[in-house]
Amino acid sequence: MSNDETAFAEFFQESWDPCLRAVAASTGDMLLAEEQVAEAFARAWVSWRKVSRHPAPRAWVVRTALNAGASWWRRRARELPLADHDVAAPGSPGTGLDSVVLSALRRLPARQREVIVLRVFLDLDIETTAKQLAIAPGTVRAHLSRAVTALRTELAQANTTEADPCPTPTR
Amino acid sequence: MSDTDQMTDGTELRELRDSLSAVAMPERPRLEAITARGRARRRHRLAGAAGVSVAAIAAGTALALGTTGAAGPAPVHSTSRTMATGTIRSLATGTIRNAAFKIVKNAKDKATLTINPQEVLDPATLQSDLAQSGIPAKVTSGSFCSSDPAPAGFSQVVSMPPRAAPAAPQSGVQPTITFNPAAMPAGTELSIGYFQLSSGGQQASFALIDTTSYSCTSTPPGPAGPPDGSQLLYGGPGPSRS
Repeated sequence: MSNDETAFAEFFQESWDPCLRAVAASTGDMLLAEEQVAEAFARAWVSWRKVSRHPAPRAWVVRTALNAGASWWRRRARELPLADHDVAAPGSPGTGLDSVVLSALRRLPARQREVIVLRVFLDLDIETTAKQLAIAPGTVRAHLSRAVTALRTELAQANTTEADPCPTPTR
Repeated sequence: MSDTDQMTDGTELRELRDSLSAVAMPERPRLEAITARGRARRRHRLAGAAGVSVAAIAAGTALALGTTGAAGPAPVHSTSRTMATGTIRSLATGTIRNAAFKIVKNAKDKATLTINPQEVLDPATLQSDLAQSGIPAKVTSGSFCSSDPAPAGFSQVVSMPPRAAPAAPQSGVQPTITFNPAAMPAGTELSIGYFQLSSGGQQASFALIDTTSYSCTSTPPGPAGPPDGSQLLYGGPGPSRS
């Protein structure tokens, strides 16, 4: 096995799970994410000399995976009903993800969701996240701030509902 | 550390990160499956470039020789690309075709493999083209790989019309098999063992294997086929070809 092949094998072994988590968090569908991430790693293998020199190879894989699924997302966005209906069934098979977190993430605008994925799940710093998304660091901070606010609200509401799913009406 | 950086360490995002890091992840695919997919992708890309180059050279040659126009051959309009290996890929229909087999991928991501009994299968080509169609497979010639116990779900993954699996080789029949890769359990791939029989016929045996535990044998499965699998017997390219 050549040095390149060994390096790719190590990268694949170490990065598959974090990349899959990041893409699954963005798409909300583990099966779809698996397919997209497999495709992205196949492309990374083809372009390994370039990808290996990339400042954030995992981010390259995640971006490639999400781009591969962009058309799927566009179709999905058209098919999705109103936000109130956009809640994954608890424990729905196939996703394997926390439905509350998932639905909160999926309610975020696409750019905010991308920022969360790169900044939180891939643990990239602000500067690298900005470079990956080709936006200014200040814009990353703004998206992150808005995303955090939106998630805080969503998760607080979800916790309230969970604590008291059938509140007694007050007179 | 900026305010925003501190914010990412906040409770909500920690919960978010933890909620996913605690999730049991599906098994990582085999590295070989990823690289096979990459190779198929690269070959496909090169084939496209080669097709364009060949077309450009042909056009240039035609211009140099002055054979275009009324005196030249009728122009050919095609949506397909021809590889040096003789493989034709129609991008519009998701069809891969060469002399030995044809793979048609349909809209539901199922794929149909049709074998030409008059040609000898090249296992590497079939494996690579199946990978390109989203079907992870181990295609072997002169041997067959299986797992004991075999993974469940074979009947959901592979289907073939009853007439395609006769008890003895049949000449002139083009066997057709349909694969549903979405039904393949995680950590499995399809095993296809191809044998040229002394009778002149050919045999293709199918089973699901556990990618981490399988063994291969050069003894072809008997006429009943592998347990938890299926088998095709068909004629050519032996005596019936000549």
